[in-house]
Amino acid sequence: MQEPKKILKYDVLVIGGGIAGGESAINLANLGYKVLLVEKELSIGGKMILLSKVFPTLDCAACITTPKVSEIARHPNITIFTSAEVTEITKKDEHQFEAIVLQKPRYVNVADCTGCQLCEQACPVNVTDEYQYGLVGRKAAYIPFSIASPRAAAIDIDNCTLCGACERACPTKCIDFTQTDEEYLVKVKSVVVATGFKLFDPLKIPRYGFDKCKNVITSMQMERELAPTRPFNTILRPGDGKMPDNIAYVLCTGSRDKSVGNPICSQICCMYSIKQAQLLMGALPMADITIYYLHIRAFGKGFNEFYAQAQDMGVEFVKGKVGKISEKENGNLILRYEDIEEGVVKEAEHDMVVLSVGVLPNQGIDEVFDNQKLQLDPFHFVNQSDILASPAKTSIEGVFVAGTASGPMDIPDSILSGGAASAETTSYLRRANQ
Amino acid sequence: MARINPEFTDELKKYGAFDANACYNCGNCTAVCTLSDEENSFPRKMVRYSVLGLESEIQTSLDPWLCYYCGECSSTCPREANPGELMMSLRRWLTAKYDWTGLSGLLYKSLAASIAAFVFLAAVVVWFGAYEHFHIETIMHYGHLFEVFAISFVFTFILLPNIIHMWWLTVVKSGKHVPLAAYFKALGELVVHMFTQKRALGCDDNQFRWLEHFILVLSYLSLLFTTVFLDWFSTNSMFIIVLGYVESALIFIVTFDFVRHRIIKDKEISKHSQPSDWLFVVWLFMMGLTAFMVRLFIDLNWLDDNVWMYIIQLIVLVQWALIIVPFGKWTHFLYRSFAMYYHKINEAAV
Repeated sequence: MQEPKKILKYDVLVIGGGIAGGESAINLANLGYKVLLVEKELSIGGKMILLSKVFPTLDCAACITTPKVSEIARHPNITIFTSAEVTEITKKDEHQFEAIVLQKPRYVNVADCTGCQLCEQACPVNVTDEYQYGLVGRKAAYIPFSIASPRAAAIDIDNCTLCGACERACPTKCIDFTQTDEEYLVKVKSVVVATGFKLFDPLKIPRYGFDKCKNVITSMQMERELAPTRPFNTILRPGDGKMPDNIAYVLCTGSRDKSVGNPICSQICCMYSIKQAQLLMGALPMADITIYYLHIRAFGKGFNEFYAQAQDMGVEFVKGKVGKISEKENGNLILRYEDIEEGVVKEAEHDMVVLSVGVLPNQGIDEVFDNQKLQLDPFHFVNQSDILASPAKTSIEGVFVAGTASGPMDIPDSILSGGAASAETTSYLRRANQ
Repeated sequence: MARINPEFTDELKKYGAFDANACYNCGNCTAVCTLSDEENSFPRKMVRYSVLGLESEIQTSLDPWLCYYCGECSSTCPREANPGELMMSLRRWLTAKYDWTGLSGLLYKSLAASIAAFVFLAAVVVWFGAYEHFHIETIMHYGHLFEVFAISFVFTFILLPNIIHMWWLTVVKSGKHVPLAAYFKALGELVVHMFTQKRALGCDDNQFRWLEHFILVLSYLSLLFTTVFLDWFSTNSMFIIVLGYVESALIFIVTFDFVRHRIIKDKEISKHSQPSDWLFVVWLFMMGLTAFMVRLFIDLNWLDDNVWMYIIQLIVLVQWALIIVPFGKWTHFLYRSFAMYYHKINEAAV
């Protein structure tokens, strides 16, 4: 017989602990609502906490995110489930939702973990670090990243050899291999979907040579190389550890490209590439940076000035989509493109290539809703059913959308969207009390 | 100054399936093309010309003939504008433009006209057969005469003037001064490309298709020679008989494979078939097959009682020689090789 699920009660269920979900949660909590924040990763903070700086102000992303994250984590009205997933949501009636939340085992009692990292030192297993986007390795017993929240260890059970070394090394005896999946039945009055986005996988464009040419990396990998918590403490190309001095950016990798199934603009790649170019010029003063673009979309506040600043700093902008990337014996890369200004096909050599990968929807959230249909837009983002009058509204009354779950957007827009979702959730909840 | 003609793409669409207006000028097509180089960067330039309707620029350009349609530009086009098919359509359009009779254009654009022409010629052949009381020796005699006559007529009055017209458009109109010696120096280029399609080897992963095409061209030309000048259907020479069998068999085997690809559409190049493509490849298949059958019937002594077999072969032959060769896809055999010839000449221009 199945064990009866533990029943929990909250006002709002926020799905996704990135910057948009976090913003919604904190606004709602400040208004006195009880919020359950469910995050599938080991830490909240989403993609933003892993970034270097934000455009166009060049503020440190971590310096904005970490205080916000700790405010969320310490808020008395917010309960956080990390490494947890919402598997089913049933709408019983207006203001009555029942969700099933699956808490996956971390094999560490978070409350007891001090983050001393002795387990990391003891663990003999080395695997690729997904939070550093594959640039370096990590252990199977590990703290996800240095500014993670909660900053507690976790056991990667798929790679763990069950040798017990971490258990013996742990001074607080918080490692617990007996943990199992736990299911909760959560009763809430409203739901905020803030499931975010995923990055385009450049393996889908074999002619760009990602994974085959060692010095072709993604923009997120470059973001990690530039971040304050960066793995190498400088900029290195992965092939041979050389400091690059001629870096190319390939814009629209997986965006505005019907041949890979994503015809829309990702809205952030132009600007983050320009930002990275400026940061690289600071980090590697002698390096040449070339950005291969189709059209530069610098549409936000201060964006065009930021673009002009990059041009003034000496970043070269070449109009033309890169068709092919091939590797030379010394690890340098040949980019073949048509120079649109001249109408002539050309080849250029660079010692490192950054693919500015686009934004794709995190799919599957619509399948969670059991007796109602969460409508998606043609590109599989959550459809905003009344985009002008009520931008957070979805096809289900009482379910709101925040951030990039509804489409590609930058950080300021995600935070605005999170704010809008919390405001609309509030007015929905107030109607319940009347 | 160039005059923009927005209606041009509508006209061009009658020659093929593409969406040039979807193009946002990223240049991906030109960059992925292995045949494109600094001197001749295509196909985006041609897409641009087509969108703007710059007919005279297109007419005087050889770029469409420099493309051998591997389809890479189409399969990787971010806008699915299908530049490869646009280049194919431009080749059909140019074929129509070079043709002084105007019949190419009519047959490319109107399937009804093509069918009418095919039916008409079939009726003429049947009528002729009936007129001769289906006497096999007389019909075969005239059939052989027809081959010789058709070759000389079509070449002299249709193909030769069209090649000269092409030369006028692509070499003379460019205004460059071409030294006479360049015409002789480039002759080698003409012969090599006519018989080998060497340039097509520059396309990615194209070796097998090139080989098939190469075998087809050689078989076709030698079968033509064997039937017309060695009189395959009447000869007693064992060598010639076997040679003809091999040649015709190769033709229908290779074309069968081409038809198969066009049906299953497994490659970018075989995805978009216009009626002109079907007619060309199917008729070539039937040419090989019926010629093979006729000779087989002769060797088995069946033909006297089965005159229909030869009548069918003659119908296919007449339709081929009077429609597909002068006005259909067959002409790419000449235009492609002459394009390489004129291209070489233009390179020598000062």
